[in-house]
Amino acid sequence: MRLDLIKKDGLYRVQKMDSGNPCIARLMTMGLLPDQELRLTHEAPLGDPIAIEFNGCQMSLRLRDAALIEVEPIR
Amino acid sequence: MSTQPPLSVALIGNPNTGKTSLFNMLTGLHQHVGNYAGVTVEKKTGTWTLPDGGQVNLIDLPGTYNLNAASLDERVAVDVLAGHSSDAAPPDLVIVVVDVENLRRNLYLASQASELGVPMVIALNCWDVAERKGLQIDSKLLEQRLGVPVVPTVARTRRGTGALAEAVTRALETRPMLVRPRWPEAVTDSIADLRRELVETRDETLREGELQRLLFDRRSAVAERLKTPAAERDALLRAAREKLHLGGYQPDAAESLLRYRFLNPLLNDILERQAAMKKRSTSESIDQLLLHRVWGLLVFVGMMYVVFQSVYTWAGPLMDIIERGVGWLGGIAGGALTATPILQSLVVDGVIGGVGAFLVFLPQILVLFFFIALLEETGYMARAAFLMDKLFSWSGLNGKSFVPLLSSFACAIPGILATRTISDPKARCITILIAPLMSCSARLPVYLLLIGAFIEPEYGAAVAGLTLFAMHFIGVLLAGPLAWLLHRTLPRSVASQPFVMELPHYRVPQLGRIGHRLYESGSEFIVRAGTVICAMTIVIWALLYFPRPPELAETVQATAQVESPGISEAELEHRLNAAYLKQSYMGRFGNAVQPVFAPAGYDWKITVGVLASFPAREIIISTLGITYALGGEIDEDSDDLRSTLAKARWESGPRAGTPVFNLPVALSIMVFFALCMQCGATVAVIAKELHWGWAIGSFAGLTALAWVAAVLTYQIGMWLA
Repeated sequence: MRLDLIKKDGLYRVQKMDSGNPCIARLMTMGLLPDQELRLTHEAPLGDPIAIEFNGCQMSLRLRDAALIEVEPIR
Repeated sequence: MSTQPPLSVALIGNPNTGKTSLFNMLTGLHQHVGNYAGVTVEKKTGTWTLPDGGQVNLIDLPGTYNLNAASLDERVAVDVLAGHSSDAAPPDLVIVVVDVENLRRNLYLASQASELGVPMVIALNCWDVAERKGLQIDSKLLEQRLGVPVVPTVARTRRGTGALAEAVTRALETRPMLVRPRWPEAVTDSIADLRRELVETRDETLREGELQRLLFDRRSAVAERLKTPAAERDALLRAAREKLHLGGYQPDAAESLLRYRFLNPLLNDILERQAAMKKRSTSESIDQLLLHRVWGLLVFVGMMYVVFQSVYTWAGPLMDIIERGVGWLGGIAGGALTATPILQSLVVDGVIGGVGAFLVFLPQILVLFFFIALLEETGYMARAAFLMDKLFSWSGLNGKSFVPLLSSFACAIPGILATRTISDPKARCITILIAPLMSCSARLPVYLLLIGAFIEPEYGAAVAGLTLFAMHFIGVLLAGPLAWLLHRTLPRSVASQPFVMELPHYRVPQLGRIGHRLYESGSEFIVRAGTVICAMTIVIWALLYFPRPPELAETVQATAQVESPGISEAELEHRLNAAYLKQSYMGRFGNAVQPVFAPAGYDWKITVGVLASFPAREIIISTLGITYALGGEIDEDSDDLRSTLAKARWESGPRAGTPVFNLPVALSIMVFFALCMQCGATVAVIAKELHWGWAIGSFAGLTALAWVAAVLTYQIGMWLA
């Protein structure tokens, strides 16, 4: 499923991502790579952007970019 | 030995690692802040005295997550480390400041930097926080694995700085290098191709690490530095990336995948204990409140209210003290110079007035920067941007524009300076350009004068309030579409950045660090913008003062005695000043361009007022006071001025005999002042933050916008009336 559609409090694992997008490329240099586990921690009051947590750091990204990341639920 | 240039050491690290705190700690106040040649990236250098007495030149590179050259910051970091910064050889050593809590990601940057061939020492910063969280990292083991000294430090308490100094002293001799990945054949072959084509055939000076940047980064800033023609260069880079692709690696993803694949085995067992941290951290618990849909927004509104009030109201008493001080100084100087009126006016109205014109901004700047430093140091600033992002994303800006634009409602000067917190250069540029549209407190006297004279008496307090609100709103209404338009039309040289933002762990702010930032921003404003503002004030003073023919005094006196015998001394003085102003260069200029403003309903007196208020909008009031022979010591509450304006009649032209000021004219003036950039300080600050071209361009653009809006207001108003 797409990262922009995931629910809070579940644990997910990255399956694939579109590395041609500059946002995604930037997240990859920060360690968000295929097989990385992540959680959705917050949604902004207006629904966009969202905050995800991986490897002990919290990053905010917009739904438009999150839609380019495929994840699978693992819990 | 003493003839050798001093050794240089660069500090590099992710944002929020305490790198700058460490820099301040090591250099004390022996710092120099400048700019890298040709780019608006701040260059901080300082002198660090090592325990053996030797001194090194310490360079604080901008905080970056990686060296992928998405922004100027990263480009500067690569250039300095590779020795291509215009003024220096590569540093003798680089200290990578690493946040223990994000070891993996921080070492990614270290790994990229090591490819540029500079010896390295790693400072494991925030050791205390890590210890408190039970995150013990075996620094000795890490040192063995990485091949460079690893020193635990706590920048805020000076812990570990002694050990760091010793490690650096030794490392300057032994030149330790970080272990580097063993790249697969597809990468080494592509790099070899690039080296052969660019370095051997075309004689470019490129290090291994720079060749990697060219290969891995789709839009590497390193490419811009090459002398090979762009088309040829791009073809070579495409071929190398194609080769990488054929070798089984997606070029955009290759570096991240391979470098983390190399780093992970080195760190996995060391980081194992970090798994215990998987439970919710304190930061996350705080965020449950501060990023909450309802409570989070309430706290945000409360905090922003405090920030706004502090700039709008609380800075007032300090500004009064400065204004009174400047007035007192002017009084003394004026008294001492009565013998030479020209010198008296130059010193009092030009020089002292000019110094006052920029000093008066200092309280607002310092108060705002205190809160910004507090918000940034605690980590809340990123949360504020997170909460507000959606309001801005449609126009190409992001949530980080909120605080600078909010501050601009008090004053655009601190607002524009506050855009430094926006890391995306394009979003920052656009925010600076629309900030003057936020209705600042200097417009208030203009609104109050005209509303008080022409709207409140006629239509009552409710309409007066509504007009005041509308004047504050019109700028915001136009700013959004303007930002959208600018986002689509700005030249590509102003690069845009993807909006992925870290929400860092909350930290307790350090007062010392906040004080340091206040000192830096205050002194920088005085040195860089203050001089320009002062110079502008003197130029405008001269245009209003000269020429000053001696025979004018006699003419005015003679006319006055015929027209109104028994005229008082003060009254005569006011009439003389009005006459001087009318034939000054500015007065003549105002008369000459009055036809341009005629479609907005302005006579020459309003036109001169508009032109003379270039240093600051509120000056139109004292200028109107002078032209209507009431004296310049008048304010917006003056009943004299209000009734004089109401009585003013056109002296000649098609509308001779009718009132100059009617409702459409009053509205048209207010609309003009709501949108124009009649503020020399703003022009100066935009020039210093961006470039003179931007400053002049935005001045011209906003003046045109204000003119069109004023003409529309007047014409529609007359048509309705």
